Amino acid sequence: MTWHAQLTDLDDATLMFRVRDGDDRDAFAVLVKRHQKMLLNFFARSGVQYDYEDLVQQTFLRLYRYRERYVATAKFTTFVFLLARQVWIDELRRRKRHERLVDGLAAEPPPEHVAPTAAEATASGGMDLERALAALPEGLREVVELGVYQDLPYAEVAEILGIPVGTVKSRMFNALAKMRTFLEKK
Amino acid sequence: MNELAPADAAAFSALAGCLRAMPGREPSAGLTDRILSAVDTERGLDRRRFLMPSPWWGTLAASLIAALSLIAVYQQRTRAPASEQPDGAAWLAASQEPDGTWSPTKHGGAEAYRPALTALSALALDRAPGGFAPQIQRACDALAALQGADGAFGGEGRARLYNHAITTFALATLCPKHPALKPALERALAYVSAQQTAQGGWDYEPRSEGNAAVTTWQVRALACAEAQGFEAAKTPLRKGLRWLRGAARDDGSIAYHRASTACSDSLTALAAYALITAGKAFPGLPELGRHAAGSLSAAPEKAAVADCYRDYAKVLAFESSGAAARAETVRRQMLAQQKAAQPDQWESVGGKLYTTALTALASR
Repeated sequence: MTWHAQLTDLDDATLMFRVRDGDDRDAFAVLVKRHQKMLLNFFARSGVQYDYEDLVQQTFLRLYRYRERYVATAKFTTFVFLLARQVWIDELRRRKRHERLVDGLAAEPPPEHVAPTAAEATASGGMDLERALAALPEGLREVVELGVYQDLPYAEVAEILGIPVGTVKSRMFNALAKMRTFLEKK
Repeated sequence: MNELAPADAAAFSALAGCLRAMPGREPSAGLTDRILSAVDTERGLDRRRFLMPSPWWGTLAASLIAALSLIAVYQQRTRAPASEQPDGAAWLAASQEPDGTWSPTKHGGAEAYRPALTALSALALDRAPGGFAPQIQRACDALAALQGADGAFGGEGRARLYNHAITTFALATLCPKHPALKPALERALAYVSAQQTAQGGWDYEPRSEGNAAVTTWQVRALACAEAQGFEAAKTPLRKGLRWLRGAARDDGSIAYHRASTACSDSLTALAAYALITAGKAFPGLPELGRHAAGSLSAAPEKAAVADCYRDYAKVLAFESSGAAARAETVRRQMLAQQKAAQPDQWESVGGKLYTTALTALASR
């Protein structure tokens, strides 16, 4: 227990170095416990309805496989979100019916607002916000996810998404404007 | 964002604050263990790769495998029928615990799914030709013993309803040959009915009217029991089928939640099978199921990781919709994956028991 308590005091990068250099299972367990909820909500808000825990597992598996490539040039969470986003893209590709969304990840989001459905129009409170977020095009939604929910700085969001900081800002503006419009229409 | 008018900036700031204040989901209790278990499996694969770096080792291993294969072929030709199953039935029989269950953790799975994995293993043995009656009897006894006072078969969270549906399905399937299961089946059916939502579905998430993944299994169990004259299955079956009908979309796919867009081949295939078989007495449902089955592809997936659950469901959907050739294509793919010991995405949940049992069930 003492050793475990010491491990939990370590920062992410140090724990990851232990995993990278010594295949330290306990260190990896601390990383899993520390970040699984963050990833779970990342996937849950991505529109995954039921297998988001499987996607969290895939992300950590990928983290383990890439452990030897880990260098502390970026924040650990940036590294994890890069992997999570790749898992999500792979998942979308796997689901043939979601190919349209995959394309949307690489392209600028279309200017049109996605109209709420009748079911959405009857929702209220927190559900309204969830539905407004879910109604966003993928390119906008992930900026809100990383910039608002995860509270990452624009530069980090830009690094994860592989887009310029200016694009992050414009997408954030568009996303919040669309959500506001969505909520006002109700 | 920096050039926003003050009013807009304030509104956006308030909106962002609301978003941040929304409660997040909590990971299930077993998630950490499942992740670490999957990583342990990966670590094991790494070590095996590390231990076999030289071509000499490869040659030696190939020779050893060839020799063992020859011995196995010889044994298959000379031994009792139980060892002649190419689809894993013999392995399942040999892996049964003395108490009649199958241990998930011994084969890379999660302990929470012991009832469901025992049920699937028993079904696989029941479907295999001859020689497994003692193992099936022990499994029946074990399944009845796993039942709690409320009629459920154990597990928490999502495991509980899956355990219950799959085990109830097994009891209903095995009951004609094992009539002692009848009281347990009746209690299980009562629990199924009690867990059904007002809309007719089942779910492990609060405030949900049902999800297609667990609802299809419950419907299968109810249909099997109803076919044998269990009156208690009739009403919940009808409601469950109505729920599934509401989850079908125009393109043939089946949504996870009726109002959601999330679909998968596994869900579509399982629901298609349920609609065609369990819904045969209801106008329009078999046609809807065949439409769903028709939206599926039988082409081999190119992913490095197999998906026995999806493939098993596809075999059921294709068989029941009359697409025997497509079913055979998927079946052959499953057997090839098993033969090649290809990693399966459900291994961390069900381990080798799950992949072997589903492959065996799909093969007949």
